[in-house]
Amino acid sequence: MNQVLAVDATGLVKTFGSVRAVDDISIQVAAGEVYGVLGPNGAGKTTFLRMLFGLIRPDAGTIRVFGKTWDDSGVKTLDGVAGFIESPKFYPYLTGRQNLEGLALLDGGIRPGLLEETLEIVDLFGRSDHKVGGYSYGMRQRLGVAASLLREPKLLVLDEPANGLDPAGIRDMRALVKRLAASGLTVLLSSHHMDEVEEICDNVTIMRRGTIAFHGTIADLRSMAPDPGHVLSTTNDVRALDAARLHPDILVTRELGTALVVSGPVPAVSAYVGALVRDGIGLLGFTQTRTPLEELFFMLTDDNDSHGRYTDDVMTEGEYA
Amino acid sequence: MTAVETAPMGIDASAQRHTGRPGLFSVVRWEVRKLRAQQRARAVLLAALLAPVPIVVVLHGQSRPPKDTLFGRFAPDHGFSLMLLVLGFASQWVLPLLTAIVAGDIFASEDQHGTWKTVFTRSTSRSKLFWAKTLTAGGFAVLMLSLLETSTIVSSLLIVGHQPLLGLTGQTIPASTALPLVIASWGSMLAPVIGFTCLAIVLSIWSRNPAVGIATPVVLGMVMGLVGSLGGIDTIRPFLLSTAFESWHGLLAEPRFTGPLVEGVIVSTAWGFICLTTAFVLLRRRDITGG
Repeated sequence: MNQVLAVDATGLVKTFGSVRAVDDISIQVAAGEVYGVLGPNGAGKTTFLRMLFGLIRPDAGTIRVFGKTWDDSGVKTLDGVAGFIESPKFYPYLTGRQNLEGLALLDGGIRPGLLEETLEIVDLFGRSDHKVGGYSYGMRQRLGVAASLLREPKLLVLDEPANGLDPAGIRDMRALVKRLAASGLTVLLSSHHMDEVEEICDNVTIMRRGTIAFHGTIADLRSMAPDPGHVLSTTNDVRALDAARLHPDILVTRELGTALVVSGPVPAVSAYVGALVRDGIGLLGFTQTRTPLEELFFMLTDDNDSHGRYTDDVMTEGEYA
Repeated sequence: MTAVETAPMGIDASAQRHTGRPGLFSVVRWEVRKLRAQQRARAVLLAALLAPVPIVVVLHGQSRPPKDTLFGRFAPDHGFSLMLLVLGFASQWVLPLLTAIVAGDIFASEDQHGTWKTVFTRSTSRSKLFWAKTLTAGGFAVLMLSLLETSTIVSSLLIVGHQPLLGLTGQTIPASTALPLVIASWGSMLAPVIGFTCLAIVLSIWSRNPAVGIATPVVLGMVMGLVGSLGGIDTIRPFLLSTAFESWHGLLAEPRFTGPLVEGVIVSTAWGFICLTTAFVLLRRRDITGG
């Protein structure tokens, strides 16, 4: 069966002045998929999502949402689509409920009881008659989700929904997104947190400076991930660095002239650390730097050597002790 | 434990989805609702309703009337003269200001609150939102003008009286004729007020800044008034939006002439058309990158 794609973006280009915010990107999201768009700030994620919502016109390329384009269908392109871009914004002098009622008017009305249902889902029922101007950041994020759910969408687009939330808020928001995804919605999630995308998404596109740096499944991404890195602190870093010469499967570098960073397969790193202890070198600290997927994310998206040891140059020239 | 974790998932993805399209009236209702919630809009309407009362009381009690002003000489003791004195004062900058307080803010406040992206991602087109906001601003202007006119006329009649009016050519106009003429004079403000409303709208969209949208029409109105008072610019004067504010003078002359009234309506309509067309194109073509 030939199913219509939820999102079918082809050859999208958008330039602001001299900045090419999105440079010939193509992204396809199948119906029912939970899809992540990942990238650092300024990668072009939000520009892509704004084009999807018709807030920005692409300079080139087409974007179809459930088969409709803005040129052909206008605002009907958004039938079955909801979400928010960056932090959701509301009228601060109106209550949460009044904001939602107004947005429902702009949707041509909603079925009875839906507004209360959405307020319950996002845990704002008790605060719905308070003015939004007094809401916390997390409450506004949840009101944004409620405003999206009012449209009973087939495709939910969330742009960094956990941004600015405290740890509990992040946990709750992720739980909410997972539950929505599990209910059969197509979810397009933009984030700059690899762990968030890894936890929720099936497929992912990683963007860098307006282009696509990676596109594939989370499993594909995991298979590309480098060995984990660990920061090692010892009683004698000079001897520890020297001892690394006997372990060709690992990479040990000195970072900022102080701590050592050990990279390599876990068994080899484990053997190296064991050897240090046997040689009488005391271990003061041993912590993982980043998860392997985070390492890969930085490899794919870093522009320069701000994370120098992971750039191609450093990796090829890196000193295996 | 948070309710986000425990709340029932009330949204059924397979449920019948709503794909309705709001009518223009629904969007206007939403704009009116927002307007009613804003203290600034309520304050303007309240001022239009109440401010004429103390003004009439003060002018009525003055022993030295403003003789240099049109209808000023007899204003303290003649109700109809006082109504027209207030009209002349209001048309200088008060009416542009009062209409611009809403019209200059109604689009720019979406930029201020970052809410364009909120309303443009619903089922309402940009065109419909544009016309709903324009109708709301226009309706507010009509309401404001009606309140100001009614309050001025009623308070002048009650506090000063309905003595005959001395016309601009020295003729005496009996009260029974003066009242409809005064009402018509106030009514002639509608066209330029709507013109200034449209000017405020285009400035609101162009600048994305409520302060610019509100203040600039007032400043432009005063500049136009100043330019209009200069000599040697007779070819330009009829095309100034502020000139339409003086078009009622012909109603109070003997014989009466209505040419300036017609000219005022045409010029105001032209200003409104140009401003709204420009505003519409600006909003339709705009990339929403903020918020």
